[in-house]
Formats: sequence, C-alpha cells, structure tokens
Amino acid sequence: MIQPQTHLNVADNSGARELMCIRVIGASNRRYAHIGDVIVAVIKEAVPNTPLERSEVIRAVIVRTCKELKRDNGMIIRYDDNAAVVIDQEGNPKGTRIFGAIARELRQLNFTKIVSLAPEVL
Amino acid sequence: MLAALRSRYLHLYATSLPSSSLTNQSWKLGFSGLNQRFSSSGAESSSKELLSLQEVEKVLSDVRADDVTVIPVGNHVDWADFMVIATGRSTWHIKNIAQALIYKVKQKQLGAKRKVLPSVQGQETGKWVVVDSGRVIVHALDEKARAYYNLENLWTGKAGQKEPTEELTKAFVKVRRINNSKKPAQRSPF
Repeated sequence: MIQPQTHLNVADNSGARELMCIRVIGASNRRYAHIGDVIVAVIKEAVPNTPLERSEVIRAVIVRTCKELKRDNGMIIRYDDNAAVVIDQEGNPKGTRIFGAIARELRQLNFTKIVSLAPEVL
Repeated sequence: MLAALRSRYLHLYATSLPSSSLTNQSWKLGFSGLNQRFSSSGAESSSKELLSLQEVEKVLSDVRADDVTVIPVGNHVDWADFMVIATGRSTWHIKNIAQALIYKVKQKQLGAKRKVLPSVQGQETGKWVVVDSGRVIVHALDEKARAYYNLENLWTGKAGQKEPTEELTKAFVKVRRINNSKKPAQRSPF
C-alpha cells in the first residue's frame, strides 16, 4: 500500500537511494499502489556522481511491498521493505541491474524487462 | 490490477486446457485445481509453446538480426528456459523483428478458435523490445542498449553474479546516526 508521501528504497543501480511517492498513476483519486503499479516519485537521496540527482521527479515501478500480496492459490508474499525500480517514460529501467527478490506478477503486468534483469523471481 | 491479472491468467488457462475450467470454478476443489494449475503450466510449456527455439532462430535469421545469442537459463531461473538476444540496426529494424515474431505466432495458430499472442514490451520506442513467448524470451536491442544493459554478462558465468551481490550489500547497509541526546553527564558526581 504505497500512497503519496511514502518513502521507498530503490532496488536497482540507477543511482537513486530513496524515493518518495508523490502520485499513484492509474485512475483519478487512486489511493494506494501495490506491486506492479507505476508511481511518480521524487528522489530524496541519491548516490553522488550519478546521472540522477536529489529532488528529481521520476517514474518508478513498485517491486516489493510490506503489505502482503495474495495469489490465487493462497500463497502470500510480503517483504521487509517497500522498494521500487526507476523507469523512464517508455518503461525502460534506468539502472542495469536489479537487487533482491521480486514477484513474478510483474511479468504478467508486462514488466518483463525488469524481471529479466532481476537475480531472483518469487 | 489483480482482477485484470486473474482474468488474463484464466483466459490463457482456458485456452490451453478447456477441461480444467470446471475445477477452477468450484472452490471446494481448490487443492486439486491448484495442483493442476502448476502441472498445466509445465505441460503447456513443453507441448503447446507459442514459439520454439528453432522457430525463433529461423525468424531472426530471416529478418537478418545481427549477433544472435542464445543463452540457456533453465538452471538460473525457473520462469524461462532460453534467453535469445539479438541486435537490430535501427529502431525500425528492431520493431520489425518483434513484428516478424508475432506474425510467426499468428501463422502457427491459423484456424484456432482463440489465438494466444506473446506479450510484447517496448514496441513504441524500439530501443529494447522484449517478446515474451512463454519459455523463450526474445530481446531485440540496439547496439547502445545492448552494451548498456549487458544481458549476456548477467546470464552467463559468475562475473555477472558477483557484481550485484557486492553492490547489494553496499546498497542495504544503513548507518545508524549517533544519538547525541543522551550524553553521559560530564560533571563528576561528587
């Protein structure tokens, strides 16, 4: 459940370290974003000497949430942190590698690029 | 989001195994349905695949994609068997590679009641197009993107494995701030 003002970790090597959600993309007045949703976020903390800077507005896909993700077969997945991957307007990831485990729902939601860069798919 | 996902799942499922839709509907048979689902996804991949590796290679050679690399990733990940990476000369060429693969899938399913198409991502820009046809994932990139993302290095050998874990530890280390508010009293008690 990611909403505006939620801080997220960054799960790639794009150079951003921490994001803050400022808008959930979808319907108007959409309240919460879950795994696989695109948000507009602002970079709160960045690694020095990287293309991305602090206070830059970017788009990101949520890949991990503390709120549990339920599957049809009864499986429940929840992570320790809220994490997102920085993408550009076309959906290409800004970073070249992704860290940590991600859910396979992202593949169904047409984020195969992110899935194919990830080290582990749950 | 989940509703759409579920409907898509069921849609694929119904097309692949029409007989199992009954077990899906009755929730009491949840466990048998669940087992069947897992087994069906495996069976689907072996028998009714959208595109086989040979077909992909033939299509890629027909559209003259450069530098085609096939990487078996079956032991790395469980969601795919082969990654096929190809380079296109221009955005048009990359888009045409994807279109040729889709056309091949359509030709293969001629006469079928319901056609199942692979999911394609990145078709609009044509820098990196991914055609996800089940167990075979085809990446068509331009030269810059190929050098940037370096997918071969990621999926072959240990060199690609080592780098992320090192950065992973770096990324997740958090330094706790020193709490100065509870300094021990400087003055001696007597």
